[in-house]
Amino acid sequence: MNNISRRDALRVGGLSVFGAAFLAACGEQAGVVPSANILSEGAVTPTTALPEGVITDVVLLRTAASLEYNAIDTYNAVLEGGLLTGDYAKLTDAVKRFRDDHQAHADAVNRLVVASGGKAHTCANARIDTLYIQPAIALITAKDNPDLSKDIVALAHALENLATQTYQGVVASLTAPSLRADAIRIAQDEARHAVVLAQVLNGGYASVGPTTNAATGKPNIASVPAAYGSLGTVMLQAGAPSAEGVKTALTLETPSLNGLIYDFVDCQ
Amino acid sequence: MTTAQARFPRSTPPAQPTDADKQLLLFTQGVELAARDLYKKAVDSGKFSDDEVAMLKMFGEHHNSYAQAMNGLIGKVATNKRNDSLYSTHVGQLASAQSAYASLQSLENTLATTNTDILGQLLGLDAARILASIITTEARMAAVFGTLPALSLTSALNSSANSLAPKIAQAPMASTETTVAP
Repeated sequence: MNNISRRDALRVGGLSVFGAAFLAACGEQAGVVPSANILSEGAVTPTTALPEGVITDVVLLRTAASLEYNAIDTYNAVLEGGLLTGDYAKLTDAVKRFRDDHQAHADAVNRLVVASGGKAHTCANARIDTLYIQPAIALITAKDNPDLSKDIVALAHALENLATQTYQGVVASLTAPSLRADAIRIAQDEARHAVVLAQVLNGGYASVGPTTNAATGKPNIASVPAAYGSLGTVMLQAGAPSAEGVKTALTLETPSLNGLIYDFVDCQ
Repeated sequence: MTTAQARFPRSTPPAQPTDADKQLLLFTQGVELAARDLYKKAVDSGKFSDDEVAMLKMFGEHHNSYAQAMNGLIGKVATNKRNDSLYSTHVGQLASAQSAYASLQSLENTLATTNTDILGQLLGLDAARILASIITTEARMAAVFGTLPALSLTSALNSSANSLAPKIAQAPMASTETTVAP
């Protein structure tokens, strides 16, 4: 036997009446013309679906080419802005060589792109530029940064490592073995650039391998940081130091799905 | 572009090394063991400072690690024998520190070039991934000898080394595509 009190019966009855009235208000009513816009203010802007991005050998190579232009643009900014001063000015010839190497890499990669049926990509990766390079340059060129030239070299070192990792990383995704060899040939050049810059930032035999900064506990820049080429994040410390002497740490990553240069991506 | 809209094409290379891959990786193992032994010879010569010895030991250990990594990829095919030809080419040049560095740089350049040539023949992705990470480090080690004791940009960045890699043809891959009879 159900034990329903008079109070329960009234509560259930009240809810039923309220629910019926609510549903009636939401539904069609006699004499009212239905409108598609009844639930919104103004007309809804039609949306355009994003094109589907298929990750092919061509896309991976176009992405690599875009990073070459990131490096070219950065080195040009360094040279044109006179950002290497004092002892670092003697690196000018090396920076010119690095820039020219990157242009040669970009040209070589774009030849592979075209030979693979794709369209050459001849500008920098906007996402890498926006996320990493421009914020780093803003920190480095701030008026209160006493280490402008050193930090510029650190940025160049980080970008060379990023390029090395990008080429090394795409090896596992490229389907054509010959393209994998082409990619790793260029990766070697980037790695060699990184070693030259690492020796400028932290030189000597004792600094070739991995070491740790005793004060900060963070890894020092190393020419050969590990036995195997890393695909992890690239650390960059730059800008004016804090009161504790610590610079801003930036973390750079190789292009992910959002940073790839798909077939439909063009230089703006 | 969102991640949900990006995808890889359907055809992908095999993960495991093929039989031809294993022969190529066996060659890599041999040259890496030769490098390990050459670094040991240099360290034992007593011609280097403590910091230099530490660096040379580290480089030698890297090459030993690469040889062991090949063991993991090729299994029973592994012989763990060094490439005597490569060893003989360099061992006589370890007599002085200066000639030793030039020789060890040449060795690293040769290894990087040889392994790049092998990478260009591999089908299996697992081996390709590991070899790629080895090659970039060997290029770094070669460049170090161009920066120390003094920087020579040309020496650090340029390599004219020739590949020692054999050419081994891959067996035709079995098709995995399904055909429908008309």
